[in-house]
Amino acid sequence: MDFLDMRWDLIWDYREFFINGIWVTIVLTICGYIGGIIFGVFLGLGKTSKRKWLYWPCKLYVDLFRGTPMLVQILIIHLALIPTVFGQSFGFMVSGITALILNSAAYNAEIIRAGIESIDKGQMEAARSLGLTHGQAMRRVILPQAIRRMIPPLGNEFIALLKDSSLVTVIAANDILYAAKIVSGAHFRFWEPYLVAAVLYLLLTFIITKLVAFIERRFSIDYNPRKKREGRVDV
Amino acid sequence: MIKVENLHKSFGKLDVLKGINYEVREKEVVCVIGPSGSGKSTFLRCINLLEEITDGAIYIEGVQVNDSKTDINLIRTEVGMVFQQFNLFPHMTVIENITMAPMFIRKLSKSEAENLALELLDKVGLREKAYNYPQQLSGGQQQRVAIARALAMKPKVMLFDEPTSALDPEMVKEVLDVMKQLAHEGMTMVVVTHEMGFAREVADRVVFMDGGYIVEQGQPEKLFDAPQNERTKAFLGKIL
Ligand SMILES: Nc1ncnc2c1ncn2[C@@H]1O[C@H](COP(=O)(O)OP(=O)(O)OP(=O)(O)O)[C@@H](O)[C@H]1O
Ligand SMILES: [Mg+2]
Repeated sequence: MDFLDMRWDLIWDYREFFINGIWVTIVLTICGYIGGIIFGVFLGLGKTSKRKWLYWPCKLYVDLFRGTPMLVQILIIHLALIPTVFGQSFGFMVSGITALILNSAAYNAEIIRAGIESIDKGQMEAARSLGLTHGQAMRRVILPQAIRRMIPPLGNEFIALLKDSSLVTVIAANDILYAAKIVSGAHFRFWEPYLVAAVLYLLLTFIITKLVAFIERRFSIDYNPRKKREGRVDV
Repeated sequence: MIKVENLHKSFGKLDVLKGINYEVREKEVVCVIGPSGSGKSTFLRCINLLEEITDGAIYIEGVQVNDSKTDINLIRTEVGMVFQQFNLFPHMTVIENITMAPMFIRKLSKSEAENLALELLDKVGLREKAYNYPQQLSGGQQQRVAIARALAMKPKVMLFDEPTSALDPEMVKEVLDVMKQLAHEGMTMVVVTHEMGFAREVADRVVFMDGGYIVEQGQPEKLFDAPQNERTKAFLGKIL
C-alpha cells in the first residue's frame, strides 16, 4: 500500500465513465424508488385488507422479495424473467429499474402497512360513525396521519435503494461502481477507483438525507396552528 | 325510534350479547349501566354497526340497519356517536374536525359548515378554541368538541359510550352539562355511563345489563331506589 503513490490522474482520465455512472445510478435509484412507492402503496394497502384473496397474494409477494437476495432477483429478472416473457432483453437499464421497483416495493409495502396500522383504531371508527365510507376515511383521516409516520422509514429506504442499486453492475449496467471496475480492471489499481466510487455514493446519500430531513420538517408531527397560518400546506 | 330485536353478538366463541330486546322512543334519554364486560359498549356499537351483528335485528325509524340493502353510511350520518377516548382527528383543527363530515357528506359549502361549527362551538362553550388543534385542549374540552362534531351531522340519535370515564374528575361536569342541555332540547340519547347522578337526573329510563342480557330496566327512581333483581341490587350496592 503506497499512499504517496496514488494515481488520481487515472480517475481524471476516466471521468466520463464516472460522470455517466453517477447519472445511471441516479436514474436507476429514482425510477426504482418512485415505481417502488407506487407499487408499494398497492401492496401495503393489500396487506391491511381483511379480504383474504387480496391479503395473501400481497403477503406472499412481500415475503418472497424480502426473503431472497437482491442480487439473485436482479439476475433472475435480467437473464430469465424478461427474456422469457418478452422474448428479448431490453438492456440493463430496463432490467435494473424493474428489479429495483419490484424489490423496493416489497420493503415500502411493509412501511406503508405499518404506518396505517399504527394509527389508533378509534380514528377509523370515529370517521365511519360520521358516515364516511372506508375509502373516504382512509383518505381524509388515516392516510394524512399515517404518511407523517411513513416519511422517516421511507427516507431510509431511499438511501438503502441507492446503495443497493450498485448491485446492477452484475448485469453490466454502467453505474458508478461499474466505472470503478473498469479502471481497476484496466490498470490494476484498486484504492483510487473504489475510494472515488465510495465517496460518490456517500455524497449522494448525504444529499438524500438532507432532502428527507427537509420533507420531514414540512410534514412535522406537531400540529401547530401558527405554522399553518404561515401558509404551510397540511396533508 | 330505535328498535332492537333479539340481538345476538359473539366474538368467535365468546357470546357477548345473548338476545337483547329493547325500544328507544323519540326524545327519550336512556342510560345503560352494568358491570365491566357486560356488553354495554358492544350493544351501543351494534346500533350503528361498528360491530357486525351475529343475529337479530335493529331498526332505526323503521329501517333495518343490518339489512344488506340498507346503506349503512347513510344510517350512520343519522346516528351520532361519542367515544370514551374522544377520537378527535389530530391533524385537523377543532373547526376542521367539525366541518369535515358536513362538507364532505352533506355537501355544505365551507362558509355554511363553518357557521354551523361556530354555532355548535358556542353551544359547547368553546368558540375561542376553533382554530386550535385537539392536543392543545384539555380532555373535557376535547370531549365537548367531539360532541359538537357529532352534532354537526344533525343526527336523530346520539350514542355516548362512557363519555366521561377518561376524564379527570374536575372535567366531568362540563361534559355532563353539555349532555344535559342536549337532553333538554329533546335529543334522543343512549348513554352508557357510570355517572349515576347523571342517570338519575336526566334519564327517562335506565337499563341494567349483565352477562349479555338486559337484566332490569325502568325509570331511574324505581331502578335505583327499589331494584327488583338480585344482580341489580348487588351491582348498585357496590357502586352507590
Ligand atoms: N373486538 C372484540 N373482540 C373480541 N372480544 C371483544 C371485542 N370487543 C369486546 N369484546 C369482549 O366482549 C365483552 C364485552 O365487552 P364490552 O366492551 O361490550 O363491555 P362493556 O360492558 O362495555 O365493559 P366496560 O364497562 O369495561 O366498557 C368483553 O368480554 C370483551 O372482552
Ligand atoms: Mg365499554
